[in-house]
Amino acid sequence: MLRNLCELWRFRALLAALVGRHLRARYRGSLLGFVWSFVNPLCLIAVYALVFKYYIRFDSVENYTLFLFTGLLPWIWFSTALLEACGSISSGGSLITKAMFPPHILPVVSVLTNLANFIFAIPLLLIFMLLSGVLPTSSLLLLPLVMFIELVFLLGISLALSALNVHYRDIQHILGNVITLWFFLCPILYPIENVPEAFRFTMIFNPVAVFTEMYQGLFLEGVVPSFVTLLVSSIVAILSFAIGCRVFNRYRESFAELI
Amino acid sequence: MRIAHYIDQFVNSYFQGLGRGSDIERGSVSLQNVSKRFRKAGSVKKSYTTMKSDILAKFTSGHTPGGHHVEPSVDGDARILHALKDVSIEIPPGASLGLVGRNGSGKSTLLKLIAGIYQPDEGRVQVNGRISALIELGAGFHPDFTGRENVYLGGIMYGLSRAEIDERFDDIIRYAELEDFIDDPVRTYSSGMYMRLGFSLAIHTDPDILLIDEVLAVGDAAFIHRCQETISDFKRRGKTLIFVTHDLPSVVRWCDEAIWLEKGVVRDRGEPKPVIDAYLQRIEEGEQAALDVRNQEYELEREQNDSESSADGAADEALSPGSLEQKRWGNRHVEITNVKMLSNSGEAKWLFHDEDSVVIEVHFELHKVVRDLAFGVGIIRSDGLEVHGINTLIDDIDVPLPEDDAFPARGCFRYSIDRLLLREGSYFLDVAAHREDGLPYDYHHRQYSFSVRSSVGATGVFLPEHKWSFATEYAACDVPSKKRLTQNVGE
Repeated sequence: MLRNLCELWRFRALLAALVGRHLRARYRGSLLGFVWSFVNPLCLIAVYALVFKYYIRFDSVENYTLFLFTGLLPWIWFSTALLEACGSISSGGSLITKAMFPPHILPVVSVLTNLANFIFAIPLLLIFMLLSGVLPTSSLLLLPLVMFIELVFLLGISLALSALNVHYRDIQHILGNVITLWFFLCPILYPIENVPEAFRFTMIFNPVAVFTEMYQGLFLEGVVPSFVTLLVSSIVAILSFAIGCRVFNRYRESFAELI
Repeated sequence: MRIAHYIDQFVNSYFQGLGRGSDIERGSVSLQNVSKRFRKAGSVKKSYTTMKSDILAKFTSGHTPGGHHVEPSVDGDARILHALKDVSIEIPPGASLGLVGRNGSGKSTLLKLIAGIYQPDEGRVQVNGRISALIELGAGFHPDFTGRENVYLGGIMYGLSRAEIDERFDDIIRYAELEDFIDDPVRTYSSGMYMRLGFSLAIHTDPDILLIDEVLAVGDAAFIHRCQETISDFKRRGKTLIFVTHDLPSVVRWCDEAIWLEKGVVRDRGEPKPVIDAYLQRIEEGEQAALDVRNQEYELEREQNDSESSADGAADEALSPGSLEQKRWGNRHVEITNVKMLSNSGEAKWLFHDEDSVVIEVHFELHKVVRDLAFGVGIIRSDGLEVHGINTLIDDIDVPLPEDDAFPARGCFRYSIDRLLLREGSYFLDVAAHREDGLPYDYHHRQYSFSVRSSVGATGVFLPEHKWSFATEYAACDVPSKKRLTQNVGE
């Protein structure tokens, strides 16, 4: 793990340059350009709002659209980053096989690029809150901490999956399905109170559900997560990162041969 | 910024401890008993998809998962390619080493091991110093980014800071001659432009060790010339150069040492000239064997054709001569049964040097009584150019014929060339038996191929015996303002 951290530090300039390039390159050639990074989540939110608010008439939450918005933004970060990171090394091509390129940069770039998109969308969320009459509170000051913990957690999974995917290309296909399931197991479309007591464990032992709840608390209710929640999620995040690094380091030497 | 500085120090000391060559001199490379194996295509697929079997294996025998690890015990396994076998090489700082060998002999694998792209299965690779590697054209470039962006990304990858790249940017672009294209995406670049940018970047990053794999071949003459100067300069500054090439003269020119790899083992090493000569010798032996096989195949084919044509008479007589295909025609009243090329020691071969003497030995059979007979011999270059053509009529040679009652009979003639004097290349040998008025008995067109090797680099089809001479002194011109240039000449 120390080795990976040192390498990330050493190549931080490369990392920054690549993230910047990816952000700019993503919408190159499209008319609306960068606006798409706002339009995409907005469309998704509009669809969910239409179905759940007007068709299914889900009414146990007031300001349902805002509730959706708060839960979906971090989820979009998590799921997109994970899917992108998973295939990042196996599709790295000559960068991995023919150049002296530090391979773990690639999944990290995927995660950071999507984090940047998340951050850019936060002002949009704040505007939406004001329009709905919900005022942000000082608890939002803890937002960077929560995001950082989730970042560490996500980096761990991304490193592990990107490395494993080089050996077992099945993983990226499995991951697509797992992500769908995972989405419905997080309190994004419904509040956690709606989950029957017998199934509450799916919320407690699901780190992403815990993160989702923390975001909703910070934005919507002005609730600061408890110290225990923060501590436990930090430990989980560090464990994830440590395991991710171990898996990655175990497989990294064979990347150039297998791609 | 202070904290960043401390982290930097920590990271640097950490990497020094971890380094692949902390206990050897800076700029040197050391390989000790290095072996590298690959799974061959066809079995590679296995390593992607056998998650199940990997997991099963883990539970049953404690076998390590992850396909990439090849057990040493499978030496005889046909699916394993031994790219390098027990290779030990020490390269001191300031050395320039050329790697030669056939395709697939392990040269590129060796470079990738030194660059750290591959890890050895056995043995130890130690490298001390900053490496720049040009393993493949455009590797490490992002096609959608502009040349400028790629220079920055590449520079950072080689370990330069932004400020350092800023400083060198103009030099890099000027050297690569890409001033006009630097803001275009590199996917629009030609292969020469890719190579120039890659090479320019690599040498402007102050590497201690430069690895080059054949990429320079796509440069134009002017750029290659500049590369040569740069590389000489690089050597003068005591940097280490390792390069793979099939351009053997450049190895002799640039390298202090050459290593000849064959099938993953070091076949020979030392002074470039003898190593390369030995390598060329080996290639020739291989070619000789290949030509033998080819001509044997022709012969077989000919025999088959013969048995067919004897059934329907001389049906192939109508075939038009002069086409590029190999053909045989004639009425076979006289049949050429065997054609050999002999060296001056009497050994049959199909590969000669330009200075060699050659004897063409032709055996023939006279099936029917013939009144007159002439033989012809021709040499055709592989592109169809007739280099040499002669027959007994032109040379006014009478072919002796047996008495009428002695038919059928067999005979033999030899056509001797003192010095072949052909330029390097592949050639066909034509042999024909015909009547004096031109009616062919048996014409073998492009049926035999042979190759010529030459140590002289002259071009064209013909190398006359020649010499150069200069007047030992210069006479002054009558141009009053010019200085006399004669001083050192001729001394």
